[in-house]
Amino acid sequence: MKRVSEQFPGVEWVEGAGEFIQIDADKCNACANCVKVCLAGCYEISKKKARIKSLDECMECAACWYACTEGAIGFSWPPGGTGYRSDWG
Amino acid sequence: MDVKGEQDEYDVVVVGAGFGGPVAARKCAEAGLKTLMLERGEKAGEKVISGLTIPFYGFLFGPQFIRDGNPPVERPVDGIINYIIRDIETGDIDIDDSLKIPKPLSPVLAFGYNAYCQPFCEWEADKAVESGAEFRTSTAVTGVIKENGRVKGVVTDGSERIGSKIVIDAEGSQGLLAISAGVREKYTPDVISLADVYDYEMKKEDVDRIFGHSIRFCWGWDEQGLAPPLGYGNGLMVWPYRGSIHWIQDECVRISDGQTPNLVKDFEGYHRNITSQLPWWREEVAPRVSLRAHIFDTFEIYVGLDERLRNMPNHADGMILIGDAAGLESTALCDGVPAAWFSADIAADVAMEAVKAGDTSASFLKRYDDRIKAHPIIQWSITSRERYDLRRAQASHDERELKRCVHNGWGLGGFNHMSTPLVRIILDSIAEDPSIIASWVLMYCRYYYNWAHERFDGRGGRAEGSPAAQTAGQRAFRKTYEITDRVLERLDAPIKRLASLLAHLSPAANPMMKTLLPLIEPVYCFLIRFLEPLTDPLSRKLVEFVENADPAIFNVAKRK
Repeated sequence: MKRVSEQFPGVEWVEGAGEFIQIDADKCNACANCVKVCLAGCYEISKKKARIKSLDECMECAACWYACTEGAIGFSWPPGGTGYRSDWG
Repeated sequence: MDVKGEQDEYDVVVVGAGFGGPVAARKCAEAGLKTLMLERGEKAGEKVISGLTIPFYGFLFGPQFIRDGNPPVERPVDGIINYIIRDIETGDIDIDDSLKIPKPLSPVLAFGYNAYCQPFCEWEADKAVESGAEFRTSTAVTGVIKENGRVKGVVTDGSERIGSKIVIDAEGSQGLLAISAGVREKYTPDVISLADVYDYEMKKEDVDRIFGHSIRFCWGWDEQGLAPPLGYGNGLMVWPYRGSIHWIQDECVRISDGQTPNLVKDFEGYHRNITSQLPWWREEVAPRVSLRAHIFDTFEIYVGLDERLRNMPNHADGMILIGDAAGLESTALCDGVPAAWFSADIAADVAMEAVKAGDTSASFLKRYDDRIKAHPIIQWSITSRERYDLRRAQASHDERELKRCVHNGWGLGGFNHMSTPLVRIILDSIAEDPSIIASWVLMYCRYYYNWAHERFDGRGGRAEGSPAAQTAGQRAFRKTYEITDRVLERLDAPIKRLASLLAHLSPAANPMMKTLLPLIEPVYCFLIRFLEPLTDPLSRKLVEFVENADPAIFNVAKRK
């Protein structure tokens, strides 16, 4: 199954990606760097911690992983054949 | 857990089918190595994002099968038009369009070729498969198999363990595999840029008329809010494709004061401001485009300028890293494809030598690092400072400095620093095989023909005709090529000796250009404009000749 998004035309997401990004709440200091660099709006700050709202529009760029100075974000690839794809890159 | 017999199941496993991976896989498979290429996407290249001109040097000096082949390209590029925006409100904009292949050579002789990543990477992957490489898609690699500190294969997301004498890591810039293998560290955010990419459909005749074959870059002072801070990314960059244009802006994930910029807000603002205020976008482009795709990705923009990061290992016991996975992004043109191709070629050579010698230790594979460090174009492209130095221009708000940086980075001033590596690689290539000169000419003609007729690998466009159907001009072209090729073959040894000898003089090219360019450039620019009435029709004639030719005349002859 593939999903599309109004915000990001020309991109499809193949379902089954799962939680390939994780946040270690103990390390998170709620700096919101992840919120600031995620163009897909995957993050929010709630109760003084970052949390993942949804990875539905994630393009696996890892900007959040780079921007997190506390090393609180764990980033891995989604399983093969899942996640975003585009013919227009 | 499904555990297969992993003991040297393959000679080489290549991780990633972007631009670099298939080049390494093809060369290894061609040499008879048992080769497997793994790709996490459903298709090759579908997770690769770039705004893309692949510069000429990638094609001329890169893998032979690309140079002599018919890859899918979107448009030949004749050069760069830089818009230096002094004041957007008053429309005070300077233009530096000095980096342009002159007519009548252009557009057949191209500065580079624009391409979409997915079809190009898939074309490359097909070539790897044709050569005997196995190719598995929808397979993410989660780690390496290590025994006594040596990489012995990879582990997939299906928990499959695949044994291999050598793993070639072509994973891309994030480098998760190299990090998990303990070979490299995660990059710091100040060397990472996030690219925000828009793909707009536009009628081909409009792209032809408005953009022609030139890419457009915009530069402006930070306070105008039109683009990321100077030196921390790129403002509006537009690449004309066949029936579309590619629009890119990018900004570093950490900027000057150590702060993380709000890229969500910044990009939205830059995009809105420049598309609503820039006269040529607002008046000519905006009414004729419709948004087809909006995508983004990060790339390692300044890794090459950070000595510690640049010198991180690119190989380990049983493992070689290529392309973006080895941090080989160009710091000048922000294009990693040529370096991915060059490094893939070198990695395949070293892998073959290592398998043959039965030694895949890091000390044996060090020859890969030696060759990367000796590669003139790779080293030049990962250490150019022109983009980074734009920070200085902004700090002093020095317009002359801004123009100097732009001119040296994306204008004719580039020859101040690219002449030595370019002369060196031209002469090295000729010294290796003089017949490459003839294949360069054919490549330009064939690529232009293919572009004009949307004919890639015999698919689409017009079929090759019989020699009898060729015109006298076409037959003369082919005859000239054959004679040239034979002369080059006959004079192989002296040409090789001469090229090797001249290559020693290549270090003088940069200083010479620095001295001569200020004198030559005004005359050159004057002549280009003065001769336009003459060169324009000649350029059209050349285009007509190539477009109307039997494509068979542009094929590279297989020597006996």
